[in-house]
Amino acid sequence: MHPVLRLVNRNLTVSLNPGFLIWQVLFPLIYIFVVGFAYTSLIPGVTYNGEHVTYPAFLATGMIGFNIMNSTLVSGLIIWNDRRHGMFEQIMSGPYTRMQYVLANICTIGTVGMISAALIVGVGYPVFQESVEFTLYTIPLIVFASVTGSVLFGSLAAIISTRLTSSEGFNVVINTTFIFLAFASTAFYPAEGAPEGLGAVFYFNPLTYIVDAIRAGIFGGITQAVFVEMAALSAIAATLFVVAAKMMTKVDF
Amino acid sequence: MKCIRAAALSKEYGDTRAVDRIDLNVEPGQSFGFLGANGAGKSTTIKMLTTLIRPTSGSLNILGVDALRDPLRVRRRIGVVLQQPSYEPTLSVERSMTKYGMMWGVPGSESRSRAERLMRDFGLADLRKKRNEDLSIGQRRRVQVAREFMHDMDLLFLDEPTVGLDPAARRELLDYLKEKAASGLTIFYTTHILSEADYLCDNIAIIQKGRILASDTPAALKKRLGRQKTITLRTNADDHAVSAALAGIPDCVVQTGMGASITIETAKPEHILMEVLGRLRKNGIKMREISAEAATLEDIFLETIRDASGSETG
Repeated sequence: MHPVLRLVNRNLTVSLNPGFLIWQVLFPLIYIFVVGFAYTSLIPGVTYNGEHVTYPAFLATGMIGFNIMNSTLVSGLIIWNDRRHGMFEQIMSGPYTRMQYVLANICTIGTVGMISAALIVGVGYPVFQESVEFTLYTIPLIVFASVTGSVLFGSLAAIISTRLTSSEGFNVVINTTFIFLAFASTAFYPAEGAPEGLGAVFYFNPLTYIVDAIRAGIFGGITQAVFVEMAALSAIAATLFVVAAKMMTKVDF
Repeated sequence: MKCIRAAALSKEYGDTRAVDRIDLNVEPGQSFGFLGANGAGKSTTIKMLTTLIRPTSGSLNILGVDALRDPLRVRRRIGVVLQQPSYEPTLSVERSMTKYGMMWGVPGSESRSRAERLMRDFGLADLRKKRNEDLSIGQRRRVQVAREFMHDMDLLFLDEPTVGLDPAARRELLDYLKEKAASGLTIFYTTHILSEADYLCDNIAIIQKGRILASDTPAALKKRLGRQKTITLRTNADDHAVSAALAGIPDCVVQTGMGASITIETAKPEHILMEVLGRLRKNGIKMREISAEAATLEDIFLETIRDASGSETG
């Protein structure tokens, strides 16, 4: 087996424990089935691409992107945990190069992101099935957005992991990043309804691009704006990946 | 071919020279002890030898491979037990062993049978289903050492592996390593517990402030550097009488207790002992017991370091 695959195997074993999987399903389920339906009395529906979409359906599609971010930030913790528990040094004293370690982590994060997205599609499908307009072109778009989003957030988590040494600092930065990215995005509400300044902030957030692309893929209506967002998403993901890889190669023992 | 050949190896961190132009030669099948106090440069050296960090200068050849040019080739043939704990908190003992085997490319069935054998040898069989995060520090350390034997290697580096182990587990580990060394494994062992090095190693280097102060077999070091001998005499007289009788003799310490005892620590024990015995006889003081101790590795270590510090300040 190739060294990168061996490390991916190990990473998946370490990160895909039952607690993690339950959390990955339970957390968005609460959003979709509790928050989504509870807010229905306040938000009867959302107009998306000229069509009426129920709020739970709107939220469930947002939760796919949200879950990708959540899971990849968490699986990005592999690097943090490896450093904290001495496994980074142990692995680096074994038959691996740093680049193989970085690649294996990105592959792991991408896999976890895809699993998370698939879980939410499966769980949330009954909620948004009435509005679904899949085409041959939209499924690759959803997959591409999911993988690119995973690489982006995984790289972000890797960068944070390499820069911080204290648990407190790491938790504060990860949680602040997570809350800001989650709520200053179109995952929970459309940007159009938000106050002008806040709506603009949404578009500085890569989660918005992921969610918009996934929604466009599920509900149809792929516009030029979605392609621009995908291009921006790819550029940010590539940049963060390069930065993360460079920083990983500089981590000292 | 030497297993380890390091020449003028140095590591600098800014203005600090952690390791200062050390030379090391370790023969195949040797158990090489690397002794030093905390902060002496042991871990920095082992990190350079295991290719984790790059030396600032010097040359390094491990198992016939230029370690600075091809570190991965070196790492494929060595085992490393680091000083700091390394574990995956959520994995069970058994799983972490088999996963480690997988990471080294050991086939599944072989990995399982090795894990079984190692868990038995290291007294971990009852803990196999326990998660690493639920183990005590000593148990986790045993897993860390046992896990390293999941893969084949030509050279094993152990950086203070007995930290956190109880005396029985410590002895068991040393015996296990002795057995492995007897079957041809080369061992590079750092410690500041000198009795361990004395028990395990057939060659020793002492490092202080990044420099190697002495390097030889334990016996040769004792012969060469073990100038001090300790002779203890117990008497039936009180300490005042003994102190008065021995006044003026150098290197004699009189201690009180159930009859005074005299400790002589000197490089010329025969000369001093004759003087002490003469004075005791003259004063009618009888001896109850006499014992002599040759210098231990610990004495030599302390003496070497003291000498080095003395020559630096002097």
